[in-house]
Amino acid sequence: MANDSSQPPANQVDRREFLWRLGAAGALLAGSAYAGVKLWEPGHVVPGFQKVKGLQLANYALAPSTILPSMAIAHGTDHEKTIRAALGALGGMGRFIQRGDVVMLKPNVAFDRPPALAATTHPDALRAVAKLAFEAGASQVIVADNPINSPVGCFFKSGITAVASEMNLDLIYPGSNSFSPLELNGEILKNWTFFSEPFKKATKVIGVTPCKDHNLCHASMTMKNWYGLLGGRRNQFHQHIHSIVSDFALMMKPTLVILDGMNVLMSNGPTGGRLSDVKPMNTIVAGTDMVAVDAYGYTHLLERDLAELTYIHKAHDRGLGNKNWQDTLYKEVQA
Amino acid sequence: MQRLLTLRNARRVAQVFFFALFLFFVFVTDLRYLKGYPVSLFLELDPLVGFATAITTHTVYMGLIWGLLLILPTLLFGRIFCNWICPYGILHHFTGWLIGKRRAEERERIESNRYKKLYSLKYVILIAMIAAALGGTLQIGWLDPIALFHRSMTTVILPAINLFFPTSIYVRQYFHVGAWAIGFILLFFVGMNVVIPRFFCRVVCPLGAFLGTLSTLSLWRIDRDVTKCVDCDLCLKNCEGASDPHTDLRKSECFVCFNCIEDCPEDALSFKFMPSLKTEVTAPVVPRRRLFLGTLVGLGFYAFGRTSGASDRNYDKAVIRPPGSLEEKGFLDACIKCDQCLRACPTNVLQPAVMESGIEGIWTPILNMKIGFCEVNCTLCGEVCPTGAIQPISIEEKTGTGKFAAQGPVKLGTAFFDLGRCLPWSMETPCVVCEEVCPVSPKAIYSHEVTITKRDGNPITLRRPYVDPALCIGCGICEHECPVTDEAAIRVTAIGETRSHDRRLLMDGGVTGATPDLEKRDR
Amino acid sequence: MIPFLSLKGLGKKPGPASRRDFVRTKIPLGENIAAGAILILLVVIGIVIGWKGTQFDPNLYSVRDGSLEATAAPVVGKSQTVRPSSEVAAVPDQAITPEKPTASETPSESSAENTSSTPPPAATGEPLEIGLDGIKPMGATEFYTSDTLYEKIDGRAPAYQNFNVQQMRCRTFSVVAASGSYVDVSEYRFDSPLDAFGMFASERDPKGKPTDFVTDGYSGEMGYFFRQGPVYVQIIASDEKPETIAAATAIAQNRAKALPVDDTGIAGRRELPAAGMIADSVTFVADNAQGQSTLKNVFEAKYDFNGGQLPFFIMVASAADAAKAWESYQKFCGNFGQAEALPDVNGAKIFRAQIFGKWKVIYLRDKEIGGVFDAADGDKARAFVEGYLLGKMK
Repeated sequence: MANDSSQPPANQVDRREFLWRLGAAGALLAGSAYAGVKLWEPGHVVPGFQKVKGLQLANYALAPSTILPSMAIAHGTDHEKTIRAALGALGGMGRFIQRGDVVMLKPNVAFDRPPALAATTHPDALRAVAKLAFEAGASQVIVADNPINSPVGCFFKSGITAVASEMNLDLIYPGSNSFSPLELNGEILKNWTFFSEPFKKATKVIGVTPCKDHNLCHASMTMKNWYGLLGGRRNQFHQHIHSIVSDFALMMKPTLVILDGMNVLMSNGPTGGRLSDVKPMNTIVAGTDMVAVDAYGYTHLLERDLAELTYIHKAHDRGLGNKNWQDTLYKEVQA
Repeated sequence: MQRLLTLRNARRVAQVFFFALFLFFVFVTDLRYLKGYPVSLFLELDPLVGFATAITTHTVYMGLIWGLLLILPTLLFGRIFCNWICPYGILHHFTGWLIGKRRAEERERIESNRYKKLYSLKYVILIAMIAAALGGTLQIGWLDPIALFHRSMTTVILPAINLFFPTSIYVRQYFHVGAWAIGFILLFFVGMNVVIPRFFCRVVCPLGAFLGTLSTLSLWRIDRDVTKCVDCDLCLKNCEGASDPHTDLRKSECFVCFNCIEDCPEDALSFKFMPSLKTEVTAPVVPRRRLFLGTLVGLGFYAFGRTSGASDRNYDKAVIRPPGSLEEKGFLDACIKCDQCLRACPTNVLQPAVMESGIEGIWTPILNMKIGFCEVNCTLCGEVCPTGAIQPISIEEKTGTGKFAAQGPVKLGTAFFDLGRCLPWSMETPCVVCEEVCPVSPKAIYSHEVTITKRDGNPITLRRPYVDPALCIGCGICEHECPVTDEAAIRVTAIGETRSHDRRLLMDGGVTGATPDLEKRDR
Repeated sequence: MIPFLSLKGLGKKPGPASRRDFVRTKIPLGENIAAGAILILLVVIGIVIGWKGTQFDPNLYSVRDGSLEATAAPVVGKSQTVRPSSEVAAVPDQAITPEKPTASETPSESSAENTSSTPPPAATGEPLEIGLDGIKPMGATEFYTSDTLYEKIDGRAPAYQNFNVQQMRCRTFSVVAASGSYVDVSEYRFDSPLDAFGMFASERDPKGKPTDFVTDGYSGEMGYFFRQGPVYVQIIASDEKPETIAAATAIAQNRAKALPVDDTGIAGRRELPAAGMIADSVTFVADNAQGQSTLKNVFEAKYDFNGGQLPFFIMVASAADAAKAWESYQKFCGNFGQAEALPDVNGAKIFRAQIFGKWKVIYLRDKEIGGVFDAADGDKARAFVEGYLLGKMK
């Protein structure tokens, strides 16, 4: 470095410029070093085998109350009146829905059966719940389910499409982009593909289900309802039906579940097909604990021995709910 | 002795050293000699590789952090890389010395080293490549000098040497598809040194442009003492970078070769710490419109390339990527087409793609089972890949053994029979070579015994082979060994590769990639 | 400048004023030090790289010699493999001597039809066309195989698969006279009339009204369910409007006429009552049922009755065979236990016997012989048989 000391001062750099240039070079060096270290990836992966980062559903349940009941049983002959009575016993829909909430109603629309056969959520039940949600101040009510076969047909024939257009509900059909992998530490359910689109904006989730016999898991009520959110070839789970139904209690913590026992499918479920399979039990059960609600439904609506219902005991033993609904705070009313 | 210890001589020694080191690395990237040598060191030192892959992949992969090691001297001294370290630059320098204007008139040499506006092209090229990277495709590999030189050595030079001196480089002669084009490009750039000295380095090199931009802030610079200078222009005679030391120095072009300092008879030039910038053109001179055009070209390349669909649903079945490759879009984000993997592959199965994976994938590695096969217990390609386009998976991870038995092996694709060509199926001829050579246990190829009546009336018992797609790992030994050598009766295609969730072969209705179906594996 | 060639070679520049290249003589000490440092640095780099070369895992580079050979057991029983191309070219055909397979060994594999097994039932078929006035199809016919049936009926599918369902086709028809109403028609095709009957019977509504146009069928308030041949038909109306029900009835009759009658193998099965039958307990015994050589083609099932389990059987044959079987059974019971004749019920002769601690109540009516066998409680057995004979159980 030939640094000739006889250089005239005019050629030399003044102090400010000196510092500026030094600083700029230093800053660039420091900046790139920082960026390099921050972004540094020293390890490797096996492409295609990385753990899929899945969706973890939010907890939509409210904090448990020590004053208000967690389950209400209402008897009556009219859908809307009975549902109102049940909700009233719980403290009113206002306990669950606040102004501005986006409410996701999950009915059971698995089959394209007419409502009278009680294989799907009754349109009157859905209408009543939607009405209550709007009255409580919901800004938007979403309705969605994933029947494997022809969603449009199933929603239409079960009468749900008519209710959706009448009540101005957002009916979301499953599309190819509506699914994403779940992240769950279930017994069977871990990274399965899941109908996530309706939950994107939802702040509260309410399950509205019929009460049905089921030839594989004995009953399809509020816990089995969430099966409709699974995508892909879910028939594989039929072999592990009790484990997966109990997994649903882990996967989904809804704000409220409503079991429509006005007309119960007593036999040949889940599809039914004969009016003779349907028995009017004129009861609505609403509650925050799916396990408790299902336990009541199996014993009092389907009139069977709870010992048979394997998934209830699994869920109870895993601490996902209380099957002994009598021990919880509940209320029974007449509509 | 003291007169010999000049910086120019140090530079010459460094040139010899780094060029020899480069040749050493290239030669030693062979199963037999590789040992632990850091053969991808030049690629890792290349800061443009680190920079561009950081844009596309949002990470600085493993050894690319060494690129920081080059940024420091560049910010101190300028583009020393171009003349002291870059093997391609050294090659051009040497070629220019050998066949260039060395013997020509002094005046011609001086004129040939003046700065030309053409030299701003490399900045436009750099901008285009960065724009393409911002869009989402890594295309620096076309013209990055280290990648280009590695690729040329691997596909053209070494096979050519082996052609003239058999077994000097390879045990068996290696072939690479499309090597002629790569060779032609190399010859073109090297030959252009006759027209313009250091043509590639001055006009085309995006790494040079990158370092040139950085050297705007360099602390040490060539300084011309105007009181001593007599404007003889002799400093231009051997100027490598065409940086106009005789007037306003263009620091972004200066290669710090020290030739000008050595040549100035008035001792007017010196390498000074923070000289005044008054007699300098500090930053590269690039017309703004050209930069804008460059950006458009880069983004256009990304858009036109990606919308041609080759990396999406219309993927070509011949695009079988090396084991440990990222899924296709990620792969195109990381592959700099340096073809180090081709060099390391012991069976010559890796080939530079032409248009199979679209224009974005030119010269990226794909497997050609006619030429070779993927050796089951080899993971060399991942070991030498500098950017992680091929991950350095272990042999256990590749074969799905030990701790990785539950997740299973890495599959490159699946083999499919072409029954019309298969000897026992269509030609009454016994043969089960594919089943014999299938390396997995239990074998993915199994056969059933069948007795047929031949054309001449005699019965013959044959074993007719089938593939079990659940077990096939797509290694291609079957295709390679099939006696029907023009187009084998069993051929591997890319479906079923495990690197991509979309391209896994669905069996028994499993949900793509969501749940590994262990029951199928236990078959 | 007039260039001229210099023969003196390197370094000599042409030109009138050829001058030697300038060579610096004054090299500042700082430069010497810098140059020296750089040279030392290069040496260090070389050493480091050399050292790095020795640090490696030898397993990475072990190409196993046997890698081209199989890692599993060698191929068993193979014929000669093809030799390398150079050899094959010269070898004439006779060199390939086929091994003589022993005649009986592989007769089943002796055709090239190994490749074409029976194709799986297609998920397509003939569209369900019903040419009736008053109904209009509401969409295309849907087809399902046994594997895809769950897409239509989800968890109910395994129940059908248990009876070997082959295919299902279904279609919805709108009712012209009642807007908004429709009728769903589903036809499940099984592999045999017996299996179709099994599924039909398992879902049977005990309160269903028998139909007059088909033997195995009943109707409910909203639909018709019947078996014809190997097909189980379900016709479900969307509501109870008279127009809709009328359309459903017309469709049911149309399907009953269209589907061919086939009652192969059902005779005895049909008679087994559905009430109280324990699911999946139906078995078919071709001959020697219950150790009796005269009991052939017998259907047996288990029943829940009055708090206990009862095994029940039915055999349908010619009147003479049935009578012979009954008499020989009665004689057998008399020889090895105690038999007593019971009063006739509804045209059937009955006897009750106790053998080896178990009770039997066997009846004979026309072409039908059946009864409870191996029951713990004789009174329950009798009550069951008499209830069946009286038509109290369906």
